[in-house]
Amino acid sequence: MAGTSHLPLKPPFLRHLPLIRLAFGLALPLVWAGCNRSDDQITVYRIPKETPTPAIIPPTAQAGAAGPAVHWTAPAGWEEQAASGFRKGSFIVTGPDGKKADVSVISFPEAAGGLLANVNRWRDQLKLPPITDVVQAGTPMEVAGRDMFFVELVSEQPLSPDGSKSRILGGIFPAGSETWFFKMIGPDALVASQREGFKQFLQSVHPAEGEVASSTAPGPMSANAGGNDSNAPTPPPIQSAQGAPVQYTLPSGWKEKPLTPMRLASFQATAPNGKETDISVVALPGVAGGDLANVNRWRGQMQLPPIDEDALAKTAEHVTVNGHDFLLVDLASEQPINGEKQRILAAILDENERSWFIKMTGEDAAVASQKSAFTDFLRGLKIP
Amino acid sequence: MPEAIVRPFPLKSPLRVLSSLRLTVVCLGLGMLLVFLGTLAQVHLGIHAVQERYFQSLIVFWSPPGASWKIPILPGGYLLGTVLLVNLIAAHGVRFQLTKKKLGIILLHFGVILLLIGQLLTGLFARETQMRIDEGQTAGYSEAPREVELAVIDRTDPNFDQVVAIPESILTRGGTIQNPTLPFTLNIRKFMGNTHLAMRSQMPEGRPSLATAGFGPKIVAEEAPRTVKDDERDLSAAYVEVNGVQGSLGTWLVSNAIPNTQPVTVDGHTYELVMRQRRFYKQFALTLLDFAHDRYAGTDIPKNFSSRVRLLDPERNENREVLISMNDPLRYRGFTFYQSGFDNDDKTTILQVVKNPAMLLPYIACGLVAAGLLVQFSMHLFGFIRKRA
Repeated sequence: MAGTSHLPLKPPFLRHLPLIRLAFGLALPLVWAGCNRSDDQITVYRIPKETPTPAIIPPTAQAGAAGPAVHWTAPAGWEEQAASGFRKGSFIVTGPDGKKADVSVISFPEAAGGLLANVNRWRDQLKLPPITDVVQAGTPMEVAGRDMFFVELVSEQPLSPDGSKSRILGGIFPAGSETWFFKMIGPDALVASQREGFKQFLQSVHPAEGEVASSTAPGPMSANAGGNDSNAPTPPPIQSAQGAPVQYTLPSGWKEKPLTPMRLASFQATAPNGKETDISVVALPGVAGGDLANVNRWRGQMQLPPIDEDALAKTAEHVTVNGHDFLLVDLASEQPINGEKQRILAAILDENERSWFIKMTGEDAAVASQKSAFTDFLRGLKIP
Repeated sequence: MPEAIVRPFPLKSPLRVLSSLRLTVVCLGLGMLLVFLGTLAQVHLGIHAVQERYFQSLIVFWSPPGASWKIPILPGGYLLGTVLLVNLIAAHGVRFQLTKKKLGIILLHFGVILLLIGQLLTGLFARETQMRIDEGQTAGYSEAPREVELAVIDRTDPNFDQVVAIPESILTRGGTIQNPTLPFTLNIRKFMGNTHLAMRSQMPEGRPSLATAGFGPKIVAEEAPRTVKDDERDLSAAYVEVNGVQGSLGTWLVSNAIPNTQPVTVDGHTYELVMRQRRFYKQFALTLLDFAHDRYAGTDIPKNFSSRVRLLDPERNENREVLISMNDPLRYRGFTFYQSGFDNDDKTTILQVVKNPAMLLPYIACGLVAAGLLVQFSMHLFGFIRKRA
């Protein structure tokens, strides 16, 4: 029969069609899928309330429950408003021309993201670009024996409803387990005219009686703040230079210098080559921009290129002195700056939500000759 | 004669080609060439770009420096893998019979097929991200280390934040982006994969900014070549114009170098714009209880890293402590969390988060290959012994 004799000649193509189909069936959708990755699409999702960067603000029973832990006296003419939400205090200031500025007082637990982050938050409100150098952030002033950071910012663009620029006057006040933020925002001219009044207002700030004592005991905030079950004692606030100077042992050849507002201690040392070096001890709340930002700022001063986190981790040296882990940085300029090569020898300590900076600057060889004295100084330094 | 018509069957040849051993050899040869050239190209492109262009592609293109055109030079990894896969399956269809004698060969080849498919699936669907958690903090998302997104955040609801996340692949295309949840469109005027950013005050001669709102006008953004180094991260940036019903509301500069969000008010409703590393939110969260970093005594050489975390999954009622250490990852809901790094003076842990639906395939494939080899060789061995006896 002709039909059956042809059967073996049926092309293999048809015989194996199911298998071929399988092969393509497996391979082609995969290749197609590769060209159309489903994740290259806009996604919309809802997430639990995130706190705006950078502060972590857990809603705590403490807020408002026992009343403010910090008291103040408002200048005459400020119209007190009802405190609401995060606001522990609220005022309206009306200028002679009827323009209004808003004054708010809020508090966040701990260092609330650090000084720099909070200053940048304010800068952002005025549409100013963020800054990276904590030194630009503000000037310290002494209030009730502690450091208050005074910040003044003006927008570049007209942001006020009346078409003028906006200005912020601010005070950042670490008090015990909380950081307090005092802010006046409004039209440029009006806020500028209120500067003295606002400073008086800041000067009137003082921790409530009894709160000072409790601020050194483990605060309930630290146990609840981030779900952290470590009972770390609440750090004591930074003492101002005049209030309680840091304790140290003076290495031989070092002389004390008058203090400046930022400095908790200040020295000068004369090197064997006759050149003088300058030593400073500064403490700032929070991480003060982070180790990397500070190291890169110093590198900038030494005209060295910035480095990244990895390079810092590789090159930085850690020394442990009296149980404190200092990051030790030694930077020498490659070219002469102002006629001679310069060097920065610095130790950074991040502890108890404070950043300590012990820094020696001066001519390259002079600083190098003081390196062991510098280490001796760290050894004798008592970090409160 | 009917036989004369059937014999030179024209459709037979494509199948012959597809199932031929010659094709296998050509594919394997091209594969070797691809691996060799891909390895050389890593010097200039870096491992990630090479992966993408040489191995996770159908065709490898080459374009002379500075030219806008490109020419295909080699079949890419996906094409070679697919052809090999089809070749193997077709060969089985045409030549091999399902007999007891061929069991070993069939098992072995099936293992190889599974290996090829597994690799393809991994290339397509596996995702590696990172989760950074500070001590005491809780993280509910991981981030893609080399991919950014533009997030438009609406925080007006008191109970949740609504996020519209636009991945980098859409940003690079430029043009107008619309989403039904947003009452405005976003026009990506320019996307820069990597940039040098500087303050305009320090660089007054910088090129004028496209930005008209936010902090953009204060910043000079110069496009830079994308980094090829494994330990560097691109600082991407984009100029985004927001268009409401009444027209343009301004152009903002966004960059993952600047974490601050920028408010955009449309019809009295404020949204926040930010460019950040692409986020993948999870249905669960990890809280870092403690990060431990042991060093060998007297040195800085790391001995062991470990993260003690609390796993919280309200949906599945999970609330337990887990210790993740270097060779002991946490596997949960299809994700594997490896201890990858640390930061911030040992106060921050970095976990590598891997999701690979095809994770098990290579293991199964290798098992099959091993079983196939065992069967094949023992059959030969027993046959040989029997012959001797």
